Amino acid sequence: MELPNHSSDEGITDGLKIVSYALNSKGEYELTPDFVWPPVNVANHLAWLEIAKQITQSREKVAAGRVSCLHYYMIANQMDIGLLAKYTSQPRWKVFLHLVPFIFNKLPASTLKKYAQLYKIATDDLIQGRLRPPIYKPE
Amino acid sequence: MLDFPHKQSAHCESGVAANLLTHRGINISEAMAFGIGVGLFFGYFPFVRINGMPLVTYRAAAGHILRQLIAIPGVQMYQKKFRNQDEAMAELDRALAASIPVGLQTGVFWLPYFPKALRFHFNAHNLVVYGKEGNEYLISDPVFPKPVRCQADDLARARFASGALAPKGKMYYLTQVPEKLERRPLIARGVRSVSKSMLASPFPLIGVRGIRFLAKRLAKWPQRLGRERADLHLGHVVRMQEEIGTGGGGFRFMYAAFLQESAEVMQERRLHDCAASLTGAGDTWREFAAMAARICKDRALPDDSYASMAACINRGAAMEEKVFTELQQWAKQHP
Repeated sequence: MELPNHSSDEGITDGLKIVSYALNSKGEYELTPDFVWPPVNVANHLAWLEIAKQITQSREKVAAGRVSCLHYYMIANQMDIGLLAKYTSQPRWKVFLHLVPFIFNKLPASTLKKYAQLYKIATDDLIQGRLRPPIYKPE
Repeated sequence: MLDFPHKQSAHCESGVAANLLTHRGINISEAMAFGIGVGLFFGYFPFVRINGMPLVTYRAAAGHILRQLIAIPGVQMYQKKFRNQDEAMAELDRALAASIPVGLQTGVFWLPYFPKALRFHFNAHNLVVYGKEGNEYLISDPVFPKPVRCQADDLARARFASGALAPKGKMYYLTQVPEKLERRPLIARGVRSVSKSMLASPFPLIGVRGIRFLAKRLAKWPQRLGRERADLHLGHVVRMQEEIGTGGGGFRFMYAAFLQESAEVMQERRLHDCAASLTGAGDTWREFAAMAARICKDRALPDDSYASMAACINRGAAMEEKVFTELQQWAKQHP
């Protein structure tokens, strides 16, 4: 690969200066800083669009009362039932049931606390059904 | 606090390996660590799913490079996995108190210093912790330009991330290194082992056969999955190929850098030529990625299609087959 023109587009890395291998003018490889290749940005952007779409869908479902607010937190943090079950050391079927609003509303405080700790929110947020931003996007 | 030689690198595991060895007085570049650690690989495993996408990997499984380095005569490494979080953090603190820089396997999602766009549930990240100040750990993360800091409870979470490739608090540090690293036999061994996995795997999803298999499947994605899902799959393949840590071109450029460096060490012209051919293969991968990006963005040129992407990948496969056959022959002459 030839040394490209340094891209000023920080794009998806949020300004993180990464390095990658590129040929210099003498045909030798060297680590070149400060270069983000556009196709990665496109692909990454696509992945985040998909996540954003899922989050929007989940918000709508929560608002319509079809799932509990736990569903939003799960999706917003890119988890599925299996992963959430592992993080909270519960069987999958329990987590599955907790996504049902009727069951979720009757959960004991100890279970809610587990979820709240995982997502770094207050237990009250879960009880009130407030939708806070995901872990990686603090307010 | 101990003085740790932080050097930014393109890939986390080879970067950690190189930095740890350099700290013990063995100067080794990242590309060299990647090469003798047999980091290059190709595998396409549609039955393993990551976020609902098939697993495509351009490098050896996490931990492979470190395992190869331990196998070097004279190198010894202490490794431990944990069940208990507190115990894992306590052992880390003890090692740091003894001025030992400690390598950790972590998940990326829980590390607050990571840019948010890269915080996926990916659990095979490597970093070195070299100090602790109050409740904060000082971390040399090889993909970052400068050392970073991380709160203790965030680091504990990252060490005990769940899901595929769960790190289980894995920590490691070098306990013994040889006085001088004799590179020549290691280079030959590394090259031999890579060409074997790329050419002679009995399993059709690995190596050059795997690349061709990917091409075959990829050509059928639009019919099988529909346009939208096909584009998502395509984006996933490109991300695996070009994400931070690949050095671009799915690690091919990094391996070419290793071959160039080896050519100097071994005084061998042929390795230089192989490096040039591998660069060609990497460029073909990039050509594919560029075409894929255009398709994903709905800005396809007239001759961009899934079929021509498959053709592009096949061309890359042919080039890689040639390079690794050449390397295999070379390695045979250097037992």
